Amino acid sequence: MKKIFSVRGILGLFLLLATIYASVATYYKIKHWGFSYKPTERSDVWTVDAHISFQPIAGQPIEVSLASPSVGQKYKILSEDVVAQGYTSEKNVKNNRIIMKSKPRKNVQDLYYRIMLYDNADTKGKIYETAPKKVEKPKFEDEYQEGQIMDLLALADRKEGSSPQRIIRLLNEEPLQPEVDAFLPVKRTQQIMAEKIIYLLAVKGITARVVRGVKLSENKRSTPADLMVEAYEGSKWIPYNITTGKAGLPKDFITFQRGGVSLLDVTGGENSQIRFSVVKSVISSFKMAGRRAKYEDSRLFDYTIYNLPSLEQNVLKWLMIFPLGIMLVVILRNIIGIQTMGTFTPMLIAMSLVKTGFVSGFICFTLIVGFGLLIRGWLTRLNLLLVPRISAVVIFVIVIMQMLTIFGYQLDYKILATAAFFPIIITAWIIERASITWEEEGARNATKQIVNTLLVAVVTYFVISSTYIRHIMFAFNEWNIVILAIVMLLGTYTGYRLSELKRFAPLTKEK
Amino acid sequence: MFASLKNIFAFFSMPQKLRAKGVLGMNARNYFVIGKYNKRSLYPLVDDKVQTKKLANGININTPHMIGVIEHQYEVKDLLKIVEGHDEFVIKPAHGSQGKGVLVIKNYQDGIFTTASGKKLHFNDVYQHISNLLSGLYSLGGQYDVALIEELVHFSDAFQNFSYQGIPDVRVIIYKGYPIMSMMRLATKESDGRANLHQGAVGVGLDMQTGKAVQAVSHNMPILIHPDTQADLMTLKVPFWREHLLIGSQAYEMTGLGYMGADIVLDKERGPMMLELNARPGLAVQIANGRGLKEAIKKVDKYYPQNLNAEERVDFVLNNRF
Ligand SMILES: Nc1ncnc2c1ncn2[C@@H]1O[C@H](COP(=O)(O)OP(=O)(O)O)[C@@H](O)[C@H]1O
Ligand SMILES: [Mg+2]
Repeated sequence: MKKIFSVRGILGLFLLLATIYASVATYYKIKHWGFSYKPTERSDVWTVDAHISFQPIAGQPIEVSLASPSVGQKYKILSEDVVAQGYTSEKNVKNNRIIMKSKPRKNVQDLYYRIMLYDNADTKGKIYETAPKKVEKPKFEDEYQEGQIMDLLALADRKEGSSPQRIIRLLNEEPLQPEVDAFLPVKRTQQIMAEKIIYLLAVKGITARVVRGVKLSENKRSTPADLMVEAYEGSKWIPYNITTGKAGLPKDFITFQRGGVSLLDVTGGENSQIRFSVVKSVISSFKMAGRRAKYEDSRLFDYTIYNLPSLEQNVLKWLMIFPLGIMLVVILRNIIGIQTMGTFTPMLIAMSLVKTGFVSGFICFTLIVGFGLLIRGWLTRLNLLLVPRISAVVIFVIVIMQMLTIFGYQLDYKILATAAFFPIIITAWIIERASITWEEEGARNATKQIVNTLLVAVVTYFVISSTYIRHIMFAFNEWNIVILAIVMLLGTYTGYRLSELKRFAPLTKEK
Repeated sequence: MFASLKNIFAFFSMPQKLRAKGVLGMNARNYFVIGKYNKRSLYPLVDDKVQTKKLANGININTPHMIGVIEHQYEVKDLLKIVEGHDEFVIKPAHGSQGKGVLVIKNYQDGIFTTASGKKLHFNDVYQHISNLLSGLYSLGGQYDVALIEELVHFSDAFQNFSYQGIPDVRVIIYKGYPIMSMMRLATKESDGRANLHQGAVGVGLDMQTGKAVQAVSHNMPILIHPDTQADLMTLKVPFWREHLLIGSQAYEMTGLGYMGADIVLDKERGPMMLELNARPGLAVQIANGRGLKEAIKKVDKYYPQNLNAEERVDFVLNNRF
């Protein structure tokens, strides 16, 4: 009695440790490798190319400094590359800038900075920061200008929304009011519009700054950086779209730079410009996990099954579902107490059903076993020795499968064409055992055993054919250790089986 | 709705009720009893009927006399030489179970073998049967087997009115050398002359002191009358009861197995004989007796003395009721 408790204690401890380990590993995989519970096979990856071009100034060494996108927002960096022949490049982490240097050059230079990003549901465009210096109110040149500005602000106040939104909406009205038209210069680029908005906000005493970045949209080619204006309100920066006034960072906006610092500085060059291209691509989630692990410099990933070639991965994916099926068999036999033909036969049938599809597989299997039993009945009369007889059954099973497949094909009856997926030897043994049970224990016992076997096979099928369960058992394969612990603990279950509650019921009946 | 639910529950028993009754479940049997007291290395002693018989003969336990053993296919043709001088005998697989492959020859004359059920076989048929047997058709797990040829048991008339054809036998459960529970198994029409309860045979629980019937079951349900012979099962009393128990008790020293079942048949002239031993006896004996094995086991652990010999153990059981 005492011994079992210590055995149980050890196994219980094992289960506990296994569960903790599996939970931690699962958490790590979700957090760092981006694994998901959902069986999504693929995930979106955005490739953003920043193309810098400029004309070098003869004889001057070149230094290019580019603001790089800040990590930890809606999107996370999967990989980061600089393509600049003959340049040395480095990342200045403190200022979050990419620095590329070169000796003096002659021709027009083309440098590329490429990042791959993936979706990372995180902050929703509200960046908490310590309060910036209060903005200095601009000085007006004369009373006339002051009057003009105050009129504009009064007009803005008739618009709806917060102060920045009112100003943005006023400046983008269609058609523009004459006062606004007069205020704005003829050339109205994004940059100028942003500056005007910031100026007007400053008059109202609101600190604001420019945000530069790229809005991710499919197949964006060679466009300039997108601009937004961020105003400091309450205790946070709130970004605004400079044409619509919509608050908040749009879903697909990648910020490269904010505030006074420049997006791009080129020393030793002139006429510099930066253009962005965006491409969206789709890669397998496991491949992406590998990229992420590499970016985080984690060697761990190399030793997981996800880093294997896809052929091996598929084989393992198939294997990873076994432990769950086995646990099911243990539960059905030792806890429920269902007697089946052969311990793992139902599981093997279930696995064939996964390959053939349920209905067609089931019909086909029934046909094979049915025909097989008929033939086996005839073999009984021939009184063959055991090994030759079972061998004959095996060959008959092959012949039946072949016939079903041929007829299935000719009659365009897909159901029958799945015949070849059933394991031949196992099927032959089922026929042999069913036939012997039939002869020795009667039709009732034989039917009962066949029905039990099929029942367990069907239950197992529904568990192992679920894409959800299969995905989880593969992506979070550490849970197999937990299953191992559970199976071993079940080995110490000494209580009654469910079937015994019925079997021994007469013992507790009062006479 | 509730009525039908209640009906379903009527078929089931609550676990705590079974526990209170001291019923031994399959898992508990395997873990606490067989796993603990039956060493694996001892199994061959009882799984091989030839070995069991030799051991039993060594300590004077009655078994049907062995006529011969056929181990290889080439020896099968010598069958007639082996059985020379016997006009009745039994051929059975040494590793068989549940009566599979047992060929009972009631009469052998002029090359014709007549079985217990009256079927007439030629040498070829018997040859075929033995060949099948050797190839492992009837053995556990299908491994190669040997054929044991032994004398026919002449069953005592004591149970003639009770069993429908077939041969009644007494199953005694022995725990640590003490016979703790027993039943008689009676064949029925349905069980086709076989004595296995799950095939429809009747089980009669026997009182350990007297060998008298305490209750009888068929298909798990209590009955009073044999379904085919109409015999009043409650009048059943096994003669030579002490000898029956003694065979079981001696089997403990013989095999070293802490828990087993002994199948004992009663021969007209030679008295109780051990037919076979089983290291994993089934649990149906509990239903036949209306009593739990776990409870019986607990009593042995608690109250029964430890260093008695076989005779003393049997006397202890016969004289003490707990
Ligand atoms: N020597 C025998 N004489 C008569 N019947 C026998 C003999 N041996 C076996 N039988 C019959 O065959 C049945 C099964 O034999 P047994 O030795 O118990 O083998 P198993 O391990 O297959 O149960 C017995 O219950 C009995 O009816
Ligand atoms: Mg037997």
